[in-house]
Amino acid sequence: MIGNDIVDLALARKESNWKRKGFLDKIFTLQEQLLINSSKNKEIMIWTLWSRKEAAFKIYNRITGIRKYNPIQIECLNLEIDVVVYENQIFYTRTQMELEYVYSEAVIKQNDFDKIIAIKRPFTINKRNGCPSYLEGDCSLEKPLSITHHGRFEKIITII
Amino acid sequence: MNKKETLEKLKSIVKPFVKNEEAFQNITEDTDFINDLQINSANLVDIVLDTEEAFDIEIDNQSMENMLTIKAALEIIETKLAAKE
Repeated sequence: MIGNDIVDLALARKESNWKRKGFLDKIFTLQEQLLINSSKNKEIMIWTLWSRKEAAFKIYNRITGIRKYNPIQIECLNLEIDVVVYENQIFYTRTQMELEYVYSEAVIKQNDFDKIIAIKRPFTINKRNGCPSYLEGDCSLEKPLSITHHGRFEKIITII
Repeated sequence: MNKKETLEKLKSIVKPFVKNEEAFQNITEDTDFINDLQINSANLVDIVLDTEEAFDIEIDNQSMENMLTIKAALEIIETKLAAKE
Protein backbone atom coordinates (compact mmCIF):
# COMPACT_ATOMS: atom_id res chain seq x y z
CA MET A 1 0.00 0.00 0.00
CA ILE A 2 1.46 3.29 -1.15
CA GLY A 3 0.43 6.92 -1.43
CA ASN A 4 2.21 10.07 -2.52
CA ASP A 5 1.63 13.78 -2.78
CA ILE A 6 3.59 16.69 -4.20
CA VAL A 7 3.27 20.44 -3.67
CA ASP A 8 4.70 22.85 -6.23
CA LEU A 9 5.76 25.67 -3.92
CA ALA A 10 5.48 28.40 -6.56
CA LEU A 11 1.93 27.35 -7.40
CA ALA A 12 1.00 26.91 -3.73
CA ARG A 13 2.18 30.47 -3.07
CA LYS A 14 -0.07 31.66 -5.86
CA GLU A 15 -3.10 29.52 -5.05
CA SER A 16 -3.15 29.17 -1.29
CA ASN A 17 -3.07 31.91 1.27
CA TRP A 18 -2.39 29.89 4.41
CA LYS A 19 -2.25 33.09 6.40
CA ARG A 20 -5.95 33.73 5.89
CA LYS A 21 -8.11 33.50 9.00
CA GLY A 22 -9.35 29.98 9.69
CA PHE A 23 -7.18 28.24 7.09
CA LEU A 24 -4.81 26.48 9.49
CA ASP A 25 -7.63 25.71 11.96
CA LYS A 26 -9.57 23.77 9.32
CA ILE A 27 -6.62 21.60 8.31
CA PHE A 28 -4.27 21.19 11.24
CA THR A 29 -4.74 19.90 14.79
CA LEU A 30 -3.57 22.06 17.69
CA GLN A 31 -0.49 19.89 18.03
CA GLU A 32 0.34 20.38 14.37
CA GLN A 33 -0.23 24.11 14.63
CA LEU A 34 2.27 24.21 17.49
CA LEU A 35 4.75 22.46 15.25
CA ILE A 36 4.09 24.99 12.45
CA ASN A 37 4.31 28.01 14.69
CA SER A 38 7.57 26.89 16.25
CA SER A 39 9.24 26.06 12.97
CA LYS A 40 11.71 28.36 11.26
CA ASN A 41 10.07 27.95 7.89
CA LYS A 42 6.34 27.82 8.43
CA GLU A 43 5.53 27.48 4.76
CA ILE A 44 7.65 24.34 4.34
CA MET A 45 6.25 22.85 7.54
CA ILE A 46 2.68 23.47 6.38
CA TRP A 47 3.18 21.74 3.03
CA THR A 48 5.19 18.93 4.63
CA LEU A 49 2.34 18.11 7.00
CA TRP A 50 -0.27 18.64 4.29
CA SER A 51 1.43 16.34 1.79
CA ARG A 52 1.85 13.63 4.45
CA LYS A 53 -1.84 13.78 5.22
CA GLU A 54 -2.72 13.57 1.54
CA ALA A 55 -0.32 10.69 0.90
CA ALA A 56 -1.68 8.74 3.89
CA PHE A 57 -5.26 9.44 2.85
CA LYS A 58 -4.62 7.94 -0.59
CA ILE A 59 -3.84 4.63 1.13
CA TYR A 60 -6.94 4.88 3.29
CA ASN A 61 -9.00 5.60 0.18
CA ARG A 62 -7.56 2.57 -1.62
CA ILE A 63 -8.28 0.25 1.30
CA THR A 64 -11.78 1.45 2.13
CA GLY A 65 -13.04 3.00 -1.11
CA ILE A 66 -14.25 5.90 1.02
CA ARG A 67 -13.79 9.50 -0.11
CA LYS A 68 -13.92 12.22 2.49
CA TYR A 69 -12.47 15.62 3.08
CA ASN A 70 -11.25 15.74 6.63
CA PRO A 71 -7.58 16.69 6.72
CA ILE A 72 -7.79 17.66 10.40
CA GLN A 73 -8.62 14.05 11.37
CA ILE A 74 -5.44 12.76 9.76
CA GLU A 75 -2.81 13.67 12.29
CA CYS A 76 0.93 13.86 11.86
CA LEU A 77 2.03 12.78 15.31
CA ASN A 78 5.63 13.60 15.33
CA LEU A 79 8.12 14.74 12.77
CA GLU A 80 11.01 12.66 14.10
CA ILE A 81 9.26 9.34 13.75
CA ASP A 82 7.22 10.45 10.72
CA VAL A 83 4.02 8.73 11.72
CA VAL A 84 0.56 9.73 10.56
CA VAL A 85 -2.54 8.38 12.29
CA TYR A 86 -6.02 8.19 10.87
CA GLU A 87 -8.91 6.20 12.33
CA ASN A 88 -6.47 4.16 14.45
CA GLN A 89 -4.41 3.18 11.43
CA ILE A 90 -0.74 4.09 11.47
CA PHE A 91 0.94 5.29 8.30
CA TYR A 92 4.67 5.81 7.92
CA THR A 93 5.73 8.77 5.84
CA ARG A 94 8.86 10.34 4.46
CA THR A 95 9.25 13.77 2.92
CA GLN A 96 11.65 15.30 0.46
CA MET A 97 11.98 19.05 0.89
CA GLU A 98 13.43 20.74 -2.15
CA LEU A 99 13.75 24.37 -3.18
CA GLU A 100 10.82 24.17 -5.55
CA TYR A 101 8.68 21.41 -4.13
CA VAL A 102 7.75 19.32 -1.13
CA TYR A 103 7.09 15.64 -1.77
CA SER A 104 5.80 12.97 0.61
CA GLU A 105 5.29 9.23 0.39
CA ALA A 106 3.27 7.08 2.77
CA VAL A 107 3.26 3.32 3.45
CA ILE A 108 1.66 1.02 5.98
CA LYS A 109 4.62 -1.31 6.45
CA GLN A 110 7.82 0.58 7.03
CA ASN A 111 9.93 -1.75 4.89
CA ASP A 112 7.72 -0.98 1.90
CA PHE A 113 9.74 2.22 1.55
CA ASP A 114 12.53 0.09 0.08
CA LYS A 115 10.17 -1.32 -2.53
CA ILE A 116 8.85 1.95 -3.89
CA ILE A 117 10.01 2.86 -7.37
CA ALA A 118 9.27 5.96 -9.41
CA ILE A 119 8.14 5.22 -12.97
CA LYS A 120 7.22 7.15 -16.09
CA ARG A 121 3.53 7.59 -16.84
CA PRO A 122 2.33 4.18 -18.13
CA PHE A 123 0.56 4.04 -21.48
CA THR A 124 -2.66 2.82 -19.94
CA ILE A 125 -3.78 3.63 -16.45
CA ASN A 126 -6.75 1.72 -15.05
CA LYS A 127 -8.91 3.11 -12.33
CA ARG A 128 -10.63 0.91 -9.80
CA ASN A 129 -12.91 2.92 -7.53
CA GLY A 130 -10.84 5.92 -8.49
CA CYS A 131 -7.54 4.28 -7.49
CA PRO A 132 -5.01 4.01 -10.30
CA SER A 133 -3.20 0.84 -11.37
CA TYR A 134 -1.46 -0.45 -14.48
CA LEU A 135 -0.51 -3.70 -16.15
CA GLU A 136 3.20 -4.31 -15.90
CA GLY A 137 5.00 -5.45 -19.05
CA ASP A 138 3.57 -8.63 -20.52
CA CYS A 139 3.14 -10.48 -17.27
CA SER A 140 -0.35 -8.96 -17.07
CA LEU A 141 0.00 -8.39 -13.38
CA GLU A 142 -1.96 -5.42 -12.20
CA LYS A 143 0.16 -3.15 -10.06
CA PRO A 144 -1.03 -0.28 -7.89
CA LEU A 145 0.08 3.24 -8.72
CA SER A 146 0.04 6.42 -6.77
CA ILE A 147 0.03 9.52 -8.91
CA THR A 148 0.49 13.07 -7.79
CA HIS A 149 0.53 16.16 -9.93
CA HIS A 150 0.75 19.79 -8.93
CA GLY A 151 1.87 22.67 -11.12
CA ARG A 152 5.17 21.82 -12.78
CA PHE A 153 5.69 18.50 -11.03
CA GLU A 154 4.37 14.99 -11.37
CA LYS A 155 5.46 11.82 -9.56
CA ILE A 156 4.20 8.35 -10.26
CA ILE A 157 5.21 5.50 -8.00
CA THR A 158 4.55 1.80 -7.78
CA ILE A 159 5.76 -0.99 -5.54
CA ILE A 160 8.00 -3.88 -6.57
CA MET B 1 -33.08 32.32 -0.25
CA ASN B 2 -34.31 29.67 -2.70
CA LYS B 3 -32.23 26.81 -4.02
CA LYS B 4 -31.44 28.53 -7.30
CA GLU B 5 -30.11 31.60 -5.53
CA THR B 6 -28.05 29.43 -3.19
CA LEU B 7 -26.59 27.57 -6.16
CA GLU B 8 -25.70 30.81 -7.95
CA LYS B 9 -23.99 32.14 -4.84
CA LEU B 10 -22.10 28.85 -4.39
CA LYS B 11 -21.03 28.90 -8.04
CA SER B 12 -19.54 32.37 -7.63
CA ILE B 13 -17.58 31.12 -4.62
CA VAL B 14 -16.27 28.06 -6.46
CA LYS B 15 -15.47 29.76 -9.78
CA PRO B 16 -12.02 31.23 -8.93
CA PHE B 17 -10.69 27.76 -8.03
CA VAL B 18 -12.03 25.86 -11.04
CA LYS B 19 -9.46 24.24 -13.34
CA ASN B 20 -11.92 22.65 -15.75
CA GLU B 21 -14.03 25.44 -17.26
CA GLU B 22 -16.07 23.09 -19.40
CA ALA B 23 -17.21 21.10 -16.39
CA PHE B 24 -18.06 24.37 -14.68
CA GLN B 25 -20.23 25.46 -17.62
CA ASN B 26 -22.09 22.15 -17.41
CA ILE B 27 -22.40 22.15 -13.65
CA THR B 28 -25.07 19.93 -12.04
CA GLU B 29 -25.76 18.80 -8.48
CA ASP B 30 -23.61 15.74 -9.10
CA THR B 31 -20.57 17.78 -10.08
CA ASP B 32 -17.58 16.80 -7.95
CA PHE B 33 -15.24 19.60 -6.87
CA ILE B 34 -12.07 17.55 -7.23
CA ASN B 35 -12.85 14.97 -9.92
CA ASP B 36 -14.91 17.16 -12.24
CA LEU B 37 -13.94 20.77 -11.59
CA GLN B 38 -10.36 19.66 -10.85
CA ILE B 39 -10.09 21.97 -7.90
CA ASN B 40 -6.91 21.53 -5.91
CA SER B 41 -7.71 19.80 -2.63
CA ALA B 42 -5.96 22.51 -0.60
CA ASN B 43 -8.36 25.03 -2.16
CA LEU B 44 -11.38 23.13 -0.82
CA VAL B 45 -10.55 24.77 2.50
CA ASP B 46 -10.86 28.17 0.81
CA ILE B 47 -14.25 27.17 -0.58
CA VAL B 48 -15.37 26.10 2.90
CA LEU B 49 -14.12 29.39 4.42
CA ASP B 50 -15.64 31.51 1.64
CA THR B 51 -18.96 29.66 2.01
CA GLU B 52 -18.94 30.30 5.76
CA GLU B 53 -18.37 33.99 5.11
CA ALA B 54 -20.85 34.40 2.27
CA PHE B 55 -23.72 32.65 4.07
CA ASP B 56 -22.72 33.64 7.59
CA ILE B 57 -22.68 30.04 8.80
CA GLU B 58 -20.17 27.76 10.48
CA ILE B 59 -19.22 24.54 8.75
CA ASP B 60 -17.99 22.08 11.35
CA ASN B 61 -15.49 19.34 10.59
CA GLN B 62 -18.18 16.69 10.38
CA SER B 63 -19.97 18.63 7.63
CA MET B 64 -16.77 19.55 5.83
CA GLU B 65 -15.98 15.84 5.51
CA ASN B 66 -18.75 15.42 2.95
CA MET B 67 -18.32 18.66 1.08
CA LEU B 68 -17.03 17.07 -2.11
CA THR B 69 -19.91 17.78 -4.49
CA ILE B 70 -22.25 20.66 -5.34
CA LYS B 71 -25.12 18.61 -3.95
CA ALA B 72 -23.40 18.00 -0.61
CA ALA B 73 -22.42 21.66 -0.34
CA LEU B 74 -26.00 22.81 -1.03
CA GLU B 75 -27.33 20.44 1.60
CA ILE B 76 -24.84 21.66 4.19
CA ILE B 77 -25.63 25.31 3.45
CA GLU B 78 -29.38 24.68 3.66
CA THR B 79 -29.08 22.75 6.93
CA LYS B 80 -26.88 25.41 8.52
CA LEU B 81 -29.13 28.24 7.32
CA ALA B 82 -32.22 26.47 8.66
CA ALA B 83 -30.51 25.99 12.03
CA LYS B 84 -29.96 29.76 12.26
CA GLU B 85 -33.64 30.61 11.90
